[in-house]
Amino acid sequence: MERSKLIKLFFALTAFFVVLFLPLESIPINSITLLQQRVLAIFVLAVLLWVWEPIPIFSTSVLIIFLELLMISDKGLFLFRTHSDAETFGQLINYKSIMGTFASPIILLFLGGYFLAMSATKYKLDQNLARVLLRPFGNNPKNVMFGLMVITAIFSMFMSNTATTAMMLAILTPVLAKLDATDLGRKAFVLAIPFAANVGGLGTPIGTPPNAVALKYLTGDIAVSFGGWMLFGVPYMIIMLIFVWFLLLKIYPVASKQLDIQIKGKFLKHWKALTVYVTFALTVVLWLTGKLHGMNSYVVAMLPVTVFSVTGIITVADLKTLSWDVLWLVSGGIALGLAMEKTGLSVNLIESIPFSNFSPYIIIASATVLAVLMATFMSNTATANLLMPIMAALGVSLSSLEPLGGVKMLIIGVAFSSSLAMCLPVSTPPNAMAHATGAIESRDMVKPGMIIGGVGLTLVYGLLFILKKVQFF
Amino acid sequence: MSKPIIMCLDDQREVLSALMKDLEEFVDAFEVIDCESAQEALEELETIEDEDGNVLLFVCDHIMPEKTGVEFLSELREESRFETARKILLTGLATHEDTIDAINRGDINFYISKPWKQDNLLKVIRQQLTHALIDSGQDHTPYMQWLDQETLYKILSKRV
Repeated sequence: MERSKLIKLFFALTAFFVVLFLPLESIPINSITLLQQRVLAIFVLAVLLWVWEPIPIFSTSVLIIFLELLMISDKGLFLFRTHSDAETFGQLINYKSIMGTFASPIILLFLGGYFLAMSATKYKLDQNLARVLLRPFGNNPKNVMFGLMVITAIFSMFMSNTATTAMMLAILTPVLAKLDATDLGRKAFVLAIPFAANVGGLGTPIGTPPNAVALKYLTGDIAVSFGGWMLFGVPYMIIMLIFVWFLLLKIYPVASKQLDIQIKGKFLKHWKALTVYVTFALTVVLWLTGKLHGMNSYVVAMLPVTVFSVTGIITVADLKTLSWDVLWLVSGGIALGLAMEKTGLSVNLIESIPFSNFSPYIIIASATVLAVLMATFMSNTATANLLMPIMAALGVSLSSLEPLGGVKMLIIGVAFSSSLAMCLPVSTPPNAMAHATGAIESRDMVKPGMIIGGVGLTLVYGLLFILKKVQFF
Repeated sequence: MSKPIIMCLDDQREVLSALMKDLEEFVDAFEVIDCESAQEALEELETIEDEDGNVLLFVCDHIMPEKTGVEFLSELREESRFETARKILLTGLATHEDTIDAINRGDINFYISKPWKQDNLLKVIRQQLTHALIDSGQDHTPYMQWLDQETLYKILSKRV
């Protein structure tokens, strides 16, 4: 391991042990229990490991879950279970609910999305759809760019933003060479793909992991269905896409008059391909019509998983290439939230900070801006993992937020904000890929990225306002 | 973790240094090791294995005294060492027989004839490095500028 990573890991662990062994009275949180202190130590460790990334981000999640099992579960190490005073100790958490985060319904919803995306890629549905969808946009470069953005956004609603970007850049880069080397528009094209992928992820609950993390906190009275999410996610996505398109053309005007993109291929017609088309369509329809058939989106997600497994469309070999790391990353976030909620730490933490002195508008603004800032420099999912448990507690305990939409509003606002960071190559994997094309410098990304972040946030506030007006909250 | 490794083998000193010069741009991110014989390479590999090093790529001459490039590569294959590493055979005077051997026994991924064009060699090396890096399970993001973008897109677009 590199030296700098070792040092970061060392500091993170040191901070963990310092918090763990502080005398309870010295922690400035009202009536904190011993178990809450342990969760706080785990939380501090998670923050430092996700911000500095001395170890892969998914492994931090695994570490969180293990430490929770060890130190706060009812089947943990005996040393962590003995106590003299039940009052200051707190209530141990059932180990099953901690382990269960690996197979939480949210995780299975995402798995369903993976199966859809993987089968679509395997049977070239994505390539063929791209070919058909791009045709109406003609060969005027400006329109072609918008066409590419629309396709990227649609795909990233169901595929990972990274895979979508890789696929679209593979289509784009050969034709980019046809544009004049001095044409600024090349930059616009290369930026359009990752930006559209980032924005497109907001369209559905499975579009990007932060949405899934948010969904975990939108349960019971404030539950949001798949279709319910799309009802506001898709319009927001469309407005953002149009804005990003205008912005990129403004900053990097396209000089060339013509650009032809040829995507080769034809729709496959054997029974496996047909099964993929039908299952894909059926799954989406069932997701959108939950009320009619009674199956929630988690149950529906098992349909593609089952159909593609049974028919051999997804094989054992395919199964092994799934991004399990992303699923585990989300599991760790859920486990962290679970521990903070069940031990009562999140509520205790919120009550120790005089949030009620602040205007609710300031709280919404700071929460969303913080999300964008964090996501600029670290993983969007890790950002959501860290912020959501706190937002959930904040939303519940702060009565001044209630007239504005309460916890539901805050969670959705922060989820959207976590996907709006795109001003640096490190901000998102799609950005990094666009940067690696060599067609743009880091600084070419900063200006449009920052404007998109600012305008995106403003539009989020607008969205929240409208959702409140239509009594969605 | 130490840098991933590119290993170059050629018995002719001048050819080896020309090769090393062409690969100069990789030294910031990769450890480029030069060996003048298969024997030296095998000894080097012992050390690398002891240190849990990650060999991504062999760029190997064929005609060398004592052990040929193909013999060396097929030996590695039989012992299942460095399985995810990619193998490029860089050779001039190979017979038809040698070429058949290289494919059937040496398990090579790419064949480049000497004298090579630098552009072509670098492109092939980037492509093979991309495959090897992803196959070895290492995070590719820090190495992105040294990889072949098209190859990377192809691999990543399948990772939904």
